[in-house]
Amino acid sequence: MTSIGTGYDLSNSVFSPDGRNFQVEYAVKAVENGGTAVGIRCKDGVVIALEKLVTSKLMKPNANKRIATVDRHIGVVSSGLVPDGRHFVVRARAEAAEWRKIYKAPIPVHSLADRVGQYVQAHTLYSSVRPFGITAIVGGWDSETEVPVDGQVGSGPSTGAGGKKEGGKHGGPFLYMIEPSGLFWGYYGAATGKGRQTAKSELEKLDLAAGTLTLEQGVKEAARIIYVAHEDSKDKEFELEMTWISSLSGPTKGRHEEVPKEIREEAERLAKKSLDDDDDDEEEEKKDDKMEE
Amino acid sequence: MNHFPQAWGRPRDDIYGHYNSSYLQTANPTQHTQSPVVTGTSVVAIKYKDGVVIAADNLASYGSLARFTDVKRLRKFNSSTVLGFGGDVSDMQYLDRLLNDLDVKENYSHADDEASQLSANNLHTYLSKVMYKRRTDFNPLWNHILVAGISSESEPFLASVDLLGTTFSSPSLATGYGAHLAQPIMRKLVPDEEAVKGISKEQAVDVVKECMKVLFYRDARSMDGYSIAVISKEGIEIKENEKLENQSWQFAERIRGYGTQVN
Amino acid sequence: MFRNNYDNDAITFSPQGRIFQVEYAQEAVKQGSVVVGIVSKTHVVLAALKRNAEELSSYQKKIIPIDSHYGIALAGLASDARVLSNFMKQQSLASRLNYDRAIPLAEITQRIGDRAQKNTQEYGKRPYGVGLLIAGVDARGPHLFEFQPSGVTQEMIASGIGARSQMARTYLERNLDQFEGSGREELVKHALRALKDSLSQDKELTVDNTSIGIAGVGEDFKLYEGAEISSWLETTFENKADDEETAAPETMEVDS
Repeated sequence: MTSIGTGYDLSNSVFSPDGRNFQVEYAVKAVENGGTAVGIRCKDGVVIALEKLVTSKLMKPNANKRIATVDRHIGVVSSGLVPDGRHFVVRARAEAAEWRKIYKAPIPVHSLADRVGQYVQAHTLYSSVRPFGITAIVGGWDSETEVPVDGQVGSGPSTGAGGKKEGGKHGGPFLYMIEPSGLFWGYYGAATGKGRQTAKSELEKLDLAAGTLTLEQGVKEAARIIYVAHEDSKDKEFELEMTWISSLSGPTKGRHEEVPKEIREEAERLAKKSLDDDDDDEEEEKKDDKMEE
Repeated sequence: MNHFPQAWGRPRDDIYGHYNSSYLQTANPTQHTQSPVVTGTSVVAIKYKDGVVIAADNLASYGSLARFTDVKRLRKFNSSTVLGFGGDVSDMQYLDRLLNDLDVKENYSHADDEASQLSANNLHTYLSKVMYKRRTDFNPLWNHILVAGISSESEPFLASVDLLGTTFSSPSLATGYGAHLAQPIMRKLVPDEEAVKGISKEQAVDVVKECMKVLFYRDARSMDGYSIAVISKEGIEIKENEKLENQSWQFAERIRGYGTQVN
Repeated sequence: MFRNNYDNDAITFSPQGRIFQVEYAQEAVKQGSVVVGIVSKTHVVLAALKRNAEELSSYQKKIIPIDSHYGIALAGLASDARVLSNFMKQQSLASRLNYDRAIPLAEITQRIGDRAQKNTQEYGKRPYGVGLLIAGVDARGPHLFEFQPSGVTQEMIASGIGARSQMARTYLERNLDQFEGSGREELVKHALRALKDSLSQDKELTVDNTSIGIAGVGEDFKLYEGAEISSWLETTFENKADDEETAAPETMEVDS
């Protein structure tokens, strides 16, 4: 950051002589101190979890939800400037509604990530706006079966033209992370916010690319990872907020919903337990290699 | 030389004769839908002590042609309301999508909470504004809609709104032909709100089925396959593939125009 | 002298990722006189300290009823609060007209939050210089929300914003457990005591400088001022003389 104060960092949409857009880099700084958020793409769904730091005792507990629903099948969480996260969600919802108007069907998760990604990127192009001070995790489930078109009124003829080819693979779980630059990648496991480094190394241990982790396990892992990532700021209280989207045959029937209280609390209990175990392990100077349950 | 703009760039009358100006765009008023195209016929509904029963047949007619026979004209909206659509089917689909969008938006703020979900009266008010706006734009949605459900006060709710935005509420309601043929039958059972309290679900279902039968006897744009829904505080029971039972066409034997007696 | 270059507008990040103009706007809230809000299972109460420019002038409005089911209390630029309150009134009426429904408080709070956020991301605007407490009852029961110039909105059990409000918040935190089960009158007393705690030593709550707003289940939001609140002031502070001394007096005079 040697070029700070040379004047090239005072306006958005301006390149410095070495080809950087400083305002975007500064926006990334705004993200780095937010509560940790993780998303895990499981075999049969997606989990989203957030470490929600309690800034005041006066706040109403378990209110102030930060993981938002877009359409019915997509969840969005962001870390960084909370109002910017709201702006992001408002736009994502508008895109999803617009998609439905045209295609009479829910927006695929990738298309949503693509569209909001473009919107975020547009905020790096003009001096009349500032970039988003958030990194957002977008997770969802695209229906694996044929869904009725919006407004569909009957099933039409059962024979003749219009038959569908059998056996094609459709839908499934999807997870993306969008940065202040508008860049986004697809992930097996994504993490952002203050504890992202810890969270990422925990996610890597899960071997998510194998595609064997179930949603049920994913919920437990997500809770555990948030607890592990919170270790660095242990003095602050936090609430764990957790949502999921399962397959149509799973517990949420393809919808994005809050993880039921009992399941979340059980996951939290296990998370705390595994932290205590780890502490013991460290004392015995043993490596942690019993991650699976 | 004619300097009027209509003559610009056109052959001169003195050489080529009078120009046929019927090809020119004439300043007519903008016109919208003048009549419905694919239509559904009657919807009937009646309140009983714990809820509302509503029914409509599964036919969509193209003029006098029975074009589609599996059309579901009872549309569910969240867990407390069913809408019954008479009139234009594509306008019904438009409204269905509009309400689906509304439901998606409602879920954003209170997915977890029944108390603040839009109830039947909220939905009826909303629809009446939509319908009235469209008729004021001279572009009406060609429907007559019955809204059946549970109100914000947890009471059975039944009201209608038509293509003009006119609203009406009564213990029993019917649209289209049903307004003439079914209403008298239902009114005998529930002449006023007071009478609703004495009506059981079974009574309400029976009278609605009776109405559907009478309508099938006399309405040439109706069908014997129908949908029926019961909405109460316990939720929505909806059956979409019912068949009329115990038909008796004896009454028709002496009537000209029915059955074998053509003239 | 060090000159901060990153604080000229609300759309420039500092190298640390801060937006100074937004932070400065939060300071404007701290210049306003204190307002307090508390919610219980059945009621929600706002209490506010009103300021007058001089002895003979009238007092600045601090609590604004918006719709029959809720109202707001403000700290900071009153003219910004007027813009926001007019917007809230319009939105609330639209909800009643179009849906025959009292607008849910979470929804109206979210809408002003989203509006305020725009002012921090688009050129040529400035953040609102006002903080609000939004209090009322909807289909889900009583609620209290806090709104900040950054666009942050939070649902609270109790809250205090404005000059010296830290003292009020300290009171509220200490008595947090009692609020949920409190009745209407108890809640008013708590709010007044919290308000009183953040006054500078030479000031007192009087019928002239205090406003109270109350809403409850089955009770519309109503603003109480002047003679209407005298009995509350009397019953709250009749034998509280001892308690007042325990609160450490603040040395800096922010109010005026």
